[in-house]
Amino acid sequence: MSKHDSSRRSFLVRAAVGAGAVAGSGLVPDAYTQTVAQHKDSAAAPGQSHPSSIQHDAFFNYEQATTIAAFTERLMPGAPGKPGARDTGVPNYIDLALAGAYADLQDFYRRGLAQLDAYCRTNHKAPFSLLEPARQDEVIAALEQGKAAGFSWPTAQEFFSVVRTHTMEGMFADPLYGGNREFAGWRLVGFPGAQGNFTPADLQNKQMFARAPMTGLQAQATQAKGSGRS
Amino acid sequence: MTTETADVVIVGVGAVGGIIAAELGKAGMKVIGLERGPRLTTQDFSSLDELRYFQRQELRPNSKRQPVTWRPNAQTDAKPLPILNYGNQAGGGTVHYGTLSWRFHEDDFRARSHTVERYGASVIPADSSLTDWPLTYADLEPFYDRAEYELGVSGKAGNLQGRKTDAGNPFEAPRRREYPLPALLPDQSGVIFAGAAQKLGYHPFSSPRAILSQPYHGRASCTYCGFCQSFGCHMGAKSSILVTKLPEADATGNFKLLTGTMCYRVNSDNSGRVTGVSYYGADGSDNTIEADLVILATFIYDNTRLLLLSKTAKFPNGLANSNGQLGKHLMAHIGARVFVAFDDRYVNIYMGPSAQKHSLDDFNADNFDHGGLKFIRGAQISVSPADLEAGPIGAAISMNPPPGIPRWGAAYRDFLAKYFARYAAFIAQTENLPYADQTVDLDPHVRDQYGLPAPRLTYDWRRPNEVARIDFLVNKLQELGRASGAQHVWRSPTGSGMPGAHHEGGTRMGGDPKTSVVNRYGQSWDIPNLFIIGSSTFPTMSGFNPTLTIQALAYMSADAIVNRYKKNPGALV
Repeated sequence: MSKHDSSRRSFLVRAAVGAGAVAGSGLVPDAYTQTVAQHKDSAAAPGQSHPSSIQHDAFFNYEQATTIAAFTERLMPGAPGKPGARDTGVPNYIDLALAGAYADLQDFYRRGLAQLDAYCRTNHKAPFSLLEPARQDEVIAALEQGKAAGFSWPTAQEFFSVVRTHTMEGMFADPLYGGNREFAGWRLVGFPGAQGNFTPADLQNKQMFARAPMTGLQAQATQAKGSGRS
Repeated sequence: MTTETADVVIVGVGAVGGIIAAELGKAGMKVIGLERGPRLTTQDFSSLDELRYFQRQELRPNSKRQPVTWRPNAQTDAKPLPILNYGNQAGGGTVHYGTLSWRFHEDDFRARSHTVERYGASVIPADSSLTDWPLTYADLEPFYDRAEYELGVSGKAGNLQGRKTDAGNPFEAPRRREYPLPALLPDQSGVIFAGAAQKLGYHPFSSPRAILSQPYHGRASCTYCGFCQSFGCHMGAKSSILVTKLPEADATGNFKLLTGTMCYRVNSDNSGRVTGVSYYGADGSDNTIEADLVILATFIYDNTRLLLLSKTAKFPNGLANSNGQLGKHLMAHIGARVFVAFDDRYVNIYMGPSAQKHSLDDFNADNFDHGGLKFIRGAQISVSPADLEAGPIGAAISMNPPPGIPRWGAAYRDFLAKYFARYAAFIAQTENLPYADQTVDLDPHVRDQYGLPAPRLTYDWRRPNEVARIDFLVNKLQELGRASGAQHVWRSPTGSGMPGAHHEGGTRMGGDPKTSVVNRYGQSWDIPNLFIIGSSTFPTMSGFNPTLTIQALAYMSADAIVNRYKKNPGALV
């Protein structure tokens, strides 16, 4: 790979990582152990992410879609009353984004997923989606820390970082983009959505703000039509 | 290919260009403005969409089509910056900005003299090009006043004609009259910040912002929606150039705006004057404007880049660069952050204008004694969401969780679920000193969509004076955090040496043609019918956001052009 390619690619990656990305504090062993224990309690059995019938994606093939679904679910796992990546439609968000706004990252994902697959088969004798959740978390931690061998471009850390960023986008972007299904991501964190107005009383509120209905772009557009705004 | 003629051509119609266009148009001068981006309207901003405007940066230059590269020093390869913090449409950065509208302190204009007087010259780092401005606060005060009143700024005076008001910012320089609009209401993060600051004996206040707290000049007031920094205002309550000066410029009948155009050269002749500009049209055409006066008003990168790209046999080092000063003394703000989070209450920081909501000025400029400290100059301290924008994507991307919590997995999910509506960030925005070896020049390897060399920044803020300042401020922020009563207080890593927000320098103004590029009016020392106006002319940067000072300078330059230069074109100094 030429130097030009290398710098162009790292540029694309960093452009994709998005605004104001900060270096993370990294995993802390105690918390990590705790996290893994929680995963064991709450996570679905491996393999259950496979769609029961044939699913057509906008960009991903079947294997890629399965891997991304499993990977993003470990980043933001669902639990009873706590919607995660699968519940909110994160894989669908990423799939649609790669077919549109992020089309220039198609090869980044293709290669990143192929390297992830090779890493898992070499080190764990199975593709990522078939590993136990605890093992999946070890793989993700190795990517995050740059300790997963065999990655060239994207690097393991670049791949982790972009998937994490896109997972957060899928959790919290307006449902119009294919994730945050039924505002589940916003409800999880207590964000009231696209509210066009807060009153002086709202500004003085020290409690959770829970004005209904939750508003997204579709509702905004409907309101605008109704009120004659264009 | 077209050739047009005008009295004046302005390159870049943002914070500066809009003001110049309106003022010169009113004086009967025929003005053409070249703008790289589109001209949008308030109706275009009805989508309160965090993905589109914050995360995908729709109102900023596309970093792939318009790359700007950065390297920490001359020994390193430059790589494109991932995020470009300036505007890409008519109105420029004022369309998406956080609207902080400060007047610089009196000592900001004489940072070198003031430092020497109080502490002696030995405290100034030997390699710093710290200097005084070629004008004083008193010189600029009338133009600050005009900008506040013509654009619409909300705030509370702290110093009326030398009399402290026991409100507002007690450290501000004297102002002739109150702000045109009362201060914006604080949200709960402002209330928390103010409580912590008062407990420690500091002087908090609602930050002055170019957002209407009440209806003004026929425009509606702010609805406190919170979709503010990174967004165009869906109410038109943000006093952007788009809704203030551009309609005024239109009304003169003397202003023509050409959008989707990219100026690639300032043309000059052998007489030593500029004759106009060449630009690519939206359709790819190659066009020329002939003008008596050329005003560069782009963001700092393109001001320097255009002058370097316009070199001729007569000006072999680029225009306005006979002394080799062009592109030097690059500065940028660095933000130190401490997060606070509460178990016993909500903060709901997504309410209200999002950026730097409430401030304290006790540690800015030379408002505190630096004796015994290992640095000079200070920082503005304020409360904000994680990345000045208040949605959950911003929090997930920009807020590192506290020690002990990973960035993903069930523990992270639970952290975000519990604290997204219960956190705030305390932020220090530092005044970094100028250094001559921090530069903007042309990247020899990277080109933009037009095939022009990308601007290249060589910059690393991690110098002893700057690092000592950050360490001091992080401690102050942590004290504030503990005083806030928050159960959780933790800091953000300060990261690499990459430049932060609000870039300044490159076409430094000064009183001496040997050591500066332009005079106090932004007029080139070398070429009197060429003006360069904007933060690229700042000799030092202050801990305050630059926009109101940029706008005051634009009013001052417009005044000098209309009342003096127009009658007698030539050197104003």
